[in-house]
Amino acid sequence: MRLNSLKSTGSLGAMLTAGALSLAAGTASAETMLTVWSWDPNFNGDSMQRAMARYQAEHPDVSLVVADFGKDALEQKLQSQLASGSNQGLPDIVLIEDYAAQRFLLTFPQAFEPVGEHVDLSGMAPYKVALATVDGTAYSMPFDSGVTGVFYHRADLEAAGFAQDDLVGITWDRFIEIGQSVEAVTGKDFLVQPFNRTDLLRLMLQSAGTWYTTPDGAVSLGADPRFRKVVEEYIKVMTSGIVQDAAGWTEYVGAFTSHDVSGVATGAWITAAIKANADQAGEWAVAPIPRIDGIEGAVHASNVGGSSWYVMAEGPNTEVALDFLNDVWAGDSDFYADILADKGAVGSLLAARHTAAYDAPDPFFADQKIWADFADWLGVVPEVNFGVFTFEAEAAFLAYVPDVIRGDAALDDALETYERRLTQAIR
Amino acid sequence: MKSMKSNGWAFIMPAMVMIGLFMIYPILSSLWMSFQTGRGMNLSFGGFDNLLRLTEDPVFLQALLNTGTFLVVQVPIMIVLALLMATLLNNPDLKFRGLLRTAIFLPCVTSLVAYAILFKSMFALDGVVNQTLIGLYLIDQPIPWLSDPFWAKVLVIIGITWRWTGYNMIFYLAALQNIDRSIYEAARVDGVPPRAVFFRLTIPMLKPVILFTCVMSTIGTLQLFDEVVNLTEGGPGDATLTLSMYIYNLTFKFMPSFGYAATVSYVIVVLVAILSFIQFYVARDRK
Repeated sequence: MRLNSLKSTGSLGAMLTAGALSLAAGTASAETMLTVWSWDPNFNGDSMQRAMARYQAEHPDVSLVVADFGKDALEQKLQSQLASGSNQGLPDIVLIEDYAAQRFLLTFPQAFEPVGEHVDLSGMAPYKVALATVDGTAYSMPFDSGVTGVFYHRADLEAAGFAQDDLVGITWDRFIEIGQSVEAVTGKDFLVQPFNRTDLLRLMLQSAGTWYTTPDGAVSLGADPRFRKVVEEYIKVMTSGIVQDAAGWTEYVGAFTSHDVSGVATGAWITAAIKANADQAGEWAVAPIPRIDGIEGAVHASNVGGSSWYVMAEGPNTEVALDFLNDVWAGDSDFYADILADKGAVGSLLAARHTAAYDAPDPFFADQKIWADFADWLGVVPEVNFGVFTFEAEAAFLAYVPDVIRGDAALDDALETYERRLTQAIR
Repeated sequence: MKSMKSNGWAFIMPAMVMIGLFMIYPILSSLWMSFQTGRGMNLSFGGFDNLLRLTEDPVFLQALLNTGTFLVVQVPIMIVLALLMATLLNNPDLKFRGLLRTAIFLPCVTSLVAYAILFKSMFALDGVVNQTLIGLYLIDQPIPWLSDPFWAKVLVIIGITWRWTGYNMIFYLAALQNIDRSIYEAARVDGVPPRAVFFRLTIPMLKPVILFTCVMSTIGTLQLFDEVVNLTEGGPGDATLTLSMYIYNLTFKFMPSFGYAATVSYVIVVLVAILSFIQFYVARDRK
């Protein structure tokens, strides 16, 4: 009930980390041990371990410890540690989700090493580099891309008399029609979204090349006519009856993996969750996301989630960390082929798409060459500046717009309150 | 004499230094911080800017309203429930008293996070609570406990009532056992009806404890954090956002505005002071 209990667990965590680090320091006299903070040990942590295994072939004296946190816990821990002004216990490399990148870089300008000054990032997907760039300096080693697709049970689509190609190159309006036809036959919603998240809106916004805030930090609603257009389209989708409300993340994943809904539209990293159900092998297909009609430059590709590696300027082994990222992450196509095949991690190295792994048909998706598709879409994802206020904007959006979707409020009123609140929050 | 005095100071010095360093300094430092504005570490003195921002901030007003709602609805329910249970369990003729007391006190030893997560799964759309209510034909559609603004508030109130009623009951039980039995005997001899015994004897004699529990519960509710974070994450929208959670978001989740967050936390301090003063005033001994 008290904030105190939270503080005490925080300091306990810090003590444990400090303990672990002093332990590490004790053994690191002869060799260098890099410390990495990340979430999702099977995906992010394991990718890092595999990268280190490759690096160790030439640098046997370097090793790696991955400290695993929840994503929110990691961001909050990092934020409080940097705010405290102490370098004690900072890792060498930290994973940050792309939406939070600018917030960290601008709030703590001295804390992160400008990776772009030491490592050649020209082979990386441009939008990934751009989102961690401040005043022309790139600060991150881009990792997994959240390049999006519509993942669905192909039998549902066929039951309603459609073919896979019917989902290719269509608008959201057409997608709604198809979704409704499928639901009429199967009784299942086509998509799902947790009620307290806005992943679909993120997907639609970036596919149209816009975001909650403009690149110069203003609220998009008043400044960028595309924003309102996207929101109207989003509400159309949400009220069309083809999107199920999930009570939380677990229910969300459960809905499409247990086939309560026909599919899901999100980043490629969801493949790991889908493939976890081996009995559904061959039943799945992937389509490009629909395009928003009436917006110039709106494309069939977008990004949801995705994250990048950052080197702490005050970390214990900054030089080694940079060399490691440069050696493996910036140019080793085989490494990216390896994590793609085993983890479903779509890395941001554009050259890696010419490896065999990207052209291999995936039996889980009935031999569809999904990775080649993702690689193609990755190249056209519009660049968007997430700015520093994404979480504020989503909190404001979720406070007012769901009432519109439920039919309890008018869109104009809700957006007006949204704009007033967001303007207030970001001043 | 003089050396004895300085000896005394020497003995309490370590404690004083600790308290000064870890309590008084942070309190003063956060007060100073509450007058500073700026993003992240780039703070500068802003005078009363943060106070002005409070009055224009719809999220703060929403969080204040939510916290107030929890306070006004939940604390009376819990205090009355705890008082009733304590009186019932104080009856010497009751069988299994020890067992019942333990059962009602047990929620207090569970971790806040653990029970909140358990509640979350019990009150899920297809959770055991909805299934039971449907099975009993009390409702025909599952109640959206977590995703509806009204029911989410109800859920938080149910949660904290379950967790804290037993805690308050223990105080009442202890106080009841300190009341001299002969007073009740005298009342019985005089033919005072049981209802009047409760309202005219028990309650006045419990007054200091009732005051204490009211103040403690008020403070606890104003600082409500763990439950909402784990049950509803403040949602849907901001329907269950509390002041403490807003402070947390301002500091760790959003673009950090440490100064403004400190201002909001001083709002809690001021509210606690005012509400406690009112409660002491209402419960004062009238001549």
